[in-house]
Amino acid sequence: MFSRRNLLVGATALGGASLLPAIAHAKGSVAAAIYPGTWEEAFRATVAPALKKKDNIDVEFQPLFAVDQVAKAKAARGAPPFDAFVLDPGPRITAIEGGLFDKFDSKKFSNLSKMPAGLVDEWGVGVNAQVVGIAYNPKKVPAPKGWKDLFTDPWVSRLGLTGFQTTFGTVSLIEIAKVFGGSETNVEPALVELKKVLPKVAAVGQPAAMPGLFQQGQCDVIYTNTQTVATLKGRGVDIEFVKPETGAITFLTTLHIAKGATDVENAYKYIDIVASKEVQEALTKPPYNFIPVNKDVPLPDYLPMKNLDEMSTYIRHDWAKINPLRAGWIEKFNKEMAK
Amino acid sequence: MGRRRSLGDISYMIVVWTLAVLALLILVAPVVIVLTTSFTEGRSLKFPPTGFSLQWYEALFDASKSRQIHRAVGNSLEVAAWSTAFGVLLGSMAALGIARNRHRLARVADGFFLSPLVLPGLTFGLAALMYFTLIGFRPSLNLIIAGHMIVTVPFILRTTTASLSQLDPALNDCSQSLGASWLYTLRRVTLPLIAPGILAGAFLAFMASIDNVPVSLFLSTARTDMLPIRMWGMMESTLDPRIAAVSGVLITAAFLLMLVMEWTVGLTRRMRD
Amino acid sequence: MRKLAEWQLALPLALAFISIFLAPLLLLVGVSFFNDDKISQPGFGQWIKFFGDPFSYKVIADTMLLGVKTVAATILVGYPLALVYLDASPRVQRVLIFIIVLPLLLSVVVRTFAWIVVLGREGVINQLLMSLGIISEPLKLLQTELGLVISLTQIEMPLMLLPLISVMSRLDPNLRDASAALGASRWRTLFTVIVPLSMPGLVAGCLLVFASSTTAFISQTVIGGVRLIYLPLLIWQQSLVVFNWPFAAVISISLLVSVLTVVSALSWFGRKSGGYVHG
Repeated sequence: MFSRRNLLVGATALGGASLLPAIAHAKGSVAAAIYPGTWEEAFRATVAPALKKKDNIDVEFQPLFAVDQVAKAKAARGAPPFDAFVLDPGPRITAIEGGLFDKFDSKKFSNLSKMPAGLVDEWGVGVNAQVVGIAYNPKKVPAPKGWKDLFTDPWVSRLGLTGFQTTFGTVSLIEIAKVFGGSETNVEPALVELKKVLPKVAAVGQPAAMPGLFQQGQCDVIYTNTQTVATLKGRGVDIEFVKPETGAITFLTTLHIAKGATDVENAYKYIDIVASKEVQEALTKPPYNFIPVNKDVPLPDYLPMKNLDEMSTYIRHDWAKINPLRAGWIEKFNKEMAK
Repeated sequence: MGRRRSLGDISYMIVVWTLAVLALLILVAPVVIVLTTSFTEGRSLKFPPTGFSLQWYEALFDASKSRQIHRAVGNSLEVAAWSTAFGVLLGSMAALGIARNRHRLARVADGFFLSPLVLPGLTFGLAALMYFTLIGFRPSLNLIIAGHMIVTVPFILRTTTASLSQLDPALNDCSQSLGASWLYTLRRVTLPLIAPGILAGAFLAFMASIDNVPVSLFLSTARTDMLPIRMWGMMESTLDPRIAAVSGVLITAAFLLMLVMEWTVGLTRRMRD
Repeated sequence: MRKLAEWQLALPLALAFISIFLAPLLLLVGVSFFNDDKISQPGFGQWIKFFGDPFSYKVIADTMLLGVKTVAATILVGYPLALVYLDASPRVQRVLIFIIVLPLLLSVVVRTFAWIVVLGREGVINQLLMSLGIISEPLKLLQTELGLVISLTQIEMPLMLLPLISVMSRLDPNLRDASAALGASRWRTLFTVIVPLSMPGLVAGCLLVFASSTTAFISQTVIGGVRLIYLPLLIWQQSLVVFNWPFAAVISISLLVSVLTVVSALSWFGRKSGGYVHG
């Protein structure tokens, strides 16, 4: 608490006073990391007012991608810059191994009974399901049926690839490997097939560049999640989602309490409100397009599933097995794809 | 032109002008594309844009819709202003101290002061965060200012040194042999002559700070959100046309500043004549 | 009061650098001598891993070459622009300065988008060339080194031109007139008078461009794509994706040392030519 106040005084003294109107008078506050873009917009519009109304807590969001959160918390060992994480499975495992989380006490979580089994564990709460599959431009190419199609014309010459840096990229490449005889721990077949078609592939890019490349027609087929597709579609981009014939992939986005957090109780209240029916329902609507995790919230119709139980039929991955292999895969990808 | 133009001179003109026009094209084309895109009627960044509207500028100036952007702009401007101010002070002093010094140590110092430019910002950001945490500081606006000062001061140092190295040392000796104090020489002879160099460096430093992603990424907190980081998020997940409008505003502001300077400089010149 | 020695003016900056830059850098060097990503077992493992892999040398060489190519491209188009600037009227000069600094006003985020638009398969250049009938198939420019160098040229041009112009515009115009009056062609005047005299600015520009293009992570990965591998991409992967900070430290130090070596050579050359001009 003390250091945060200090920080505030420092910032105010530097002339930031007018920029920080409400915080100084708040009863309580919590600093939460949040993904930039849609997530941040959505959480500011729904979670922040709900938390203020229910518990009179001001939430300060810090837009950071999952890997950046883990890096910052690791570097600031013991003094995390925020109280709550929002992470994908890969960085989540890294954070657990690095001892960056407080154990999650589900007794302090009032929405426990509303959550499907397996969403709450000793480390945190799954507050959103991401579904990963193939996205394509319907004005340029026909809908591909599955991962194998991506390696044949007309799709291969319009394909935009990303590597193992992101969770969605990693799981997509694993599924591609499976189609060609690989497995969760053996992505070699995917790399072999990729190498064969590499001269034809439209783009091998940084994940951050993909929406721009897709929008400008550099590539017309990418792998990504339903939420990105729904958001871009809502903004007038020609993009459609396809569930691959071998099944769509799903993984959870989870909230965690940072070890050394300054406002632990408020962080619990924050996580609780995110999982509440009211907030989950609001997050489900456009332009946010989240996949809800609260059983009381009906699923939106843009999703290829009717209810949350169906999620068990989706492909999931064991990140405890994947994570130790990933550094090697990334190096391999560099070398195989390098010009 | 009294002299007949030779073939060589004609070829000189053709080559120089062709390449200069190419340079202008490279400089201007992306700016034109971004500005055009910022007036789009569509809901996402796309070129060529559809229709014409000012809606993204309106959205950008809307206090409630773009509150986070305004906050980030405020932070970024504040950091850029302070880090440039410190940079100009320390950087030009250092340049005066070592630019004309032929001692080996001065050369080492010169290389040392340049090295932040060479270390990837990502590495410096990460190392700085580890280091500051180790000695007991938590990320804050002050730390970002310090970090930005380090990574932008090489620009000031470099341009100032370039101006200084061109300064005829005889001027200094002359002034001092005429009995002028070191400070007087600095104020009346050296500074006016190297001012363009300092100014160029300050501008580079200011803009480098405004556009710095990696150092801010590591040293910022929930309360010190910075503009380029916010813009990355908007670009990556939503292709929000407001990020083009931000550049439109920045360019317009610089243009107006230039006009004002033109006007005031012109005015003082007229008054002097 | 004792008169201050001139070099002492550099002390405040030196102090700031030691406490805010050198200290973290030393920490980084320390971190590089750990074998594991938990930073618990000291050893040379990461150094051996990096320098035992031939791929590393290729990436180092590619990164340095990218810097050289960008410097060359920036001089090729930038220097003529500086010459045009030199001959222009004061009013035109001010307009040119505004155009030269334009790239700095464009955030890296939208700048990379703009280059996707220019270089892309359905981009401005390809559309133009195809409608003129010069090509029938779109050229591959995006995600090639050529495209990357072109786009880097834009953002590096101010770094080259500002030092260059500030030095050039202080050249005595009489020198050029004298050269012309003595019958020298414009080419001769350029290479025997203008270029040598503008050397300090040119060298300063080259330093800035080289250092900045070799570390331009965002442009390199977004416009170059990830098949063109340069050291900053490896640093990013190791520090922010797999969190192997000792390895990231080794790569960072290697980049720092490689670039500083080139830059010192340039700097030495600059001082030598500067000395020649004054001598």
